[in-house]
Amino acid sequence: MSPTAVLYVAQAIHGLAYGMLLFLVASGLTMIFGMMGILNIAHASFAMLSAYFCFQVLLMTGNFWVALLIAPLVAGICGLMTERFLLRTVHKQGHLAELLITVGIMMVILEIVKAGWGTESLVVKIPQSLSGLLNFAGLTYPIYRLFVIGLSIVILGIMALILFKTRLGKIVRAAVSDADMVSALGINTPLVFMLVFGIGIWLAGVAGAVAGPLLTVFPGMADQLGMDAFVVVVVGGFGSLLGAFIVALFLGELNAYGIQFIPRLAPILMFAFMAIVLALKPMGLFGERE
Amino acid sequence: MRNKLHKWILWGVVIIFVAIFPHVFGIYYTNFLVAFAIFSLYAVTLNLLLGYMGVLSFGHAMFFGTGAYATALALRHIQGFPLLPAVLVGGLAGGLLALILCPLLVRVSGTAFAMLTLAFGQLIFVVALKYREVTGGEDGIGGYPIPPLNIAGVVSIDMTDKINFYYFAMTVIMVCLLMLWFYTKTPFGSLVVAVRDNAMRIDYLGFKLPQTKAVNLIVCGAFAGIAGAVHALLMKLVSTVGVLDINTSFAPIMMAYIGGVGSFFGPIIGSGVLHILEDLVIRFTERIGLVNGAIFILVVLYAPMGLVGLFSAAKAKWFPKEKVS
Amino acid sequence: MNILETKGLYHDFSGLAVLFDVNLQVQEGERHAVIGPNGAGKTTLFNVITGTYRPSRGQVFFKGKEVTGARPNALTRLGMGRSFQITSTFNRLTAFQNIRLAVLSKRGIRFQMFRKVDGMGDITRETDEVLKRINLDRERDMPAGVLSYGKHRSLEISLALATDPDLVMLDEPTAGMSRDETHYAVELIRRLTEGKTVVIIEHDMDVVFSIADRITVLHYGQILATGPPGEIRQNQAVKDAYLGELEV
Repeated sequence: MSPTAVLYVAQAIHGLAYGMLLFLVASGLTMIFGMMGILNIAHASFAMLSAYFCFQVLLMTGNFWVALLIAPLVAGICGLMTERFLLRTVHKQGHLAELLITVGIMMVILEIVKAGWGTESLVVKIPQSLSGLLNFAGLTYPIYRLFVIGLSIVILGIMALILFKTRLGKIVRAAVSDADMVSALGINTPLVFMLVFGIGIWLAGVAGAVAGPLLTVFPGMADQLGMDAFVVVVVGGFGSLLGAFIVALFLGELNAYGIQFIPRLAPILMFAFMAIVLALKPMGLFGERE
Repeated sequence: MRNKLHKWILWGVVIIFVAIFPHVFGIYYTNFLVAFAIFSLYAVTLNLLLGYMGVLSFGHAMFFGTGAYATALALRHIQGFPLLPAVLVGGLAGGLLALILCPLLVRVSGTAFAMLTLAFGQLIFVVALKYREVTGGEDGIGGYPIPPLNIAGVVSIDMTDKINFYYFAMTVIMVCLLMLWFYTKTPFGSLVVAVRDNAMRIDYLGFKLPQTKAVNLIVCGAFAGIAGAVHALLMKLVSTVGVLDINTSFAPIMMAYIGGVGSFFGPIIGSGVLHILEDLVIRFTERIGLVNGAIFILVVLYAPMGLVGLFSAAKAKWFPKEKVS
Repeated sequence: MNILETKGLYHDFSGLAVLFDVNLQVQEGERHAVIGPNGAGKTTLFNVITGTYRPSRGQVFFKGKEVTGARPNALTRLGMGRSFQITSTFNRLTAFQNIRLAVLSKRGIRFQMFRKVDGMGDITRETDEVLKRINLDRERDMPAGVLSYGKHRSLEISLALATDPDLVMLDEPTAGMSRDETHYAVELIRRLTEGKTVVIIEHDMDVVFSIADRITVLHYGQILATGPPGEIRQNQAVKDAYLGELEV
């Protein structure tokens, strides 16, 4: 296989892995916005928090799988608490107040992380079982990235099953579409909100924990991931999981190929694209609500 | 009539305070006051959009930073570029940027406006970062000359002297604040406030809504650019982190909120509070972001009308006015 | 002269036809009521005429000029005023500030940035005169949002009138009002629209028959009948559509 082809495939896998991570983060973000009208500026910060938790648990137990299990859960619980005690209180003040409080939360999480672990990049080592390369059909694939893609697909598959095949999922989908109506039907919407927020954060937490070895764990982690996730949600459509999926993968590949071949143009293209979509279709490509 | 006298006395005190400040408090605090003033102007322009017109400019640093870069570039590349035009060029750049973005920005409001401005703010940040040949990338632009102030070719005041610069900067900023304050009192200013309440009805009353929004945006962009220009002259160094980054966009929002988005002076008070806070906190810990973030959360939770709002509420409680019959 | 005229007006929302071949003529100086059951398309007709929507098909003429698809602010500047069924004022501004906006617009002061607005004596005087005429002078400095319902509606209607339009479009001005408030509102409207043309959407038949010179009946988006009140009362088709509701 020619070196160029190998390069293209490698980039494609990178892009796919990053795209999947983006989707994990963006899916929670878009559902939270669709249902509660809150644009959670701190969403990627929770992902970063989870990455740091993962590092810490790994340090203490030496077991990557345990860390991967615990970190997102802890982050998810932090998310639940945030919704219950901070967001719910400002809900009556309107969307602007909710947005601004998430800005404050983002700042606080950043400082917590810096205070707890310093400002240097932390290395999270890929466990033996997942390191190395896989040879298949004459091409080589980094195993960890395949793992990331695989794990994402499994988790998203489970989420999709819950969303579309269970009663709870039906309630959540209805709430994303029209929370007031669901409340009028007698369903405990505050509970649903809290749950969805917590799960959305958990998803971001999984992404953060898994991304640790790939992106390295450092206080600026949330910036790139967060901005990209916003672009995904905005372009894909507020409240649309399908839109988020498509745009996340597209953005992942754009990033991977862009950084390789047009490093100066790539981020500009991305933002320009987002600005144009926003100007023409303020609700995003697949979004409907406002 | 008593009120008017009170107001004149208050302004007299402020002016005297500003005039004697450097001689009383020394150089360090002189620069501190200029920084406070710069961000006051910057935050006021944000509030003219947020509190007055009802839109959140989430990437406001793009106007501030563009102004700062324009001034730095002009001074660096054009021999003998004079002082006042250097400041004006910053305002021009900020206003021009707003003008370019207007066709898109006037068509949206609410969350979409916040997102669009965030996107553009980030876009400009990234562009400045990547195009090192022009902007110096992360290192930025420095070492540009600070020209003297030439008055009618007769007097030339050296601006590298910190005290001279202080008077110049404070004068420029106070004049700008006065202009903006007057702006809010004009018929157009009363129109802008109405946009926040009921943009649709403005249309039905016969006003041109997009053009109205555009003019306000351009005014805010221009004056934010002037704030950036003065910042460039103060710091003698302009780089992406510090004038174009997301924290520079968040700062005026925090200041406006803490001081009170419902009043003209709120952002100025907020700027004061945050600057004093930062100066105090820095002595004990580096975690200024934590303090800022926590305060911001508390303000949004418990005092959404800011300090000015709290003050008004207290005044109404302890000095109730006569009831309207 | 017909101050307002629509020709072959159609309007649909995503395929659903709401207005169907509407040919409305309003004579200058007359008081013209538009009535019809809920969903007949009355407010949509208003929206098309006042520029909220561009009609799917057809034309609108104002003072003899075609204005199809013109924006609301352009129509206002040509001399049209419109009030809303759901009160739509500037709630955080005072009653005075609300009316002052309309006065400023009337005088073409739209981008004035070089004087203090409080210092413009003639504007203040005119605004205060308007407030006096609508009996809101005591509520001058109260935020519109805290006004009583009746006074709030008065403000709503006078916002439409304060730009001194030649044609006034009033959408259910007495909506939600008690008997007394309605009488009061009708008197106010009669007084303030002297010499103007008025088109009014109304459900209250007392109001319609006491104000209107001519009535247009709208039914499922089509004009069922147009004519003076006496004629409409006798019209069989109208009676059938309303099942005797017009018995007054």
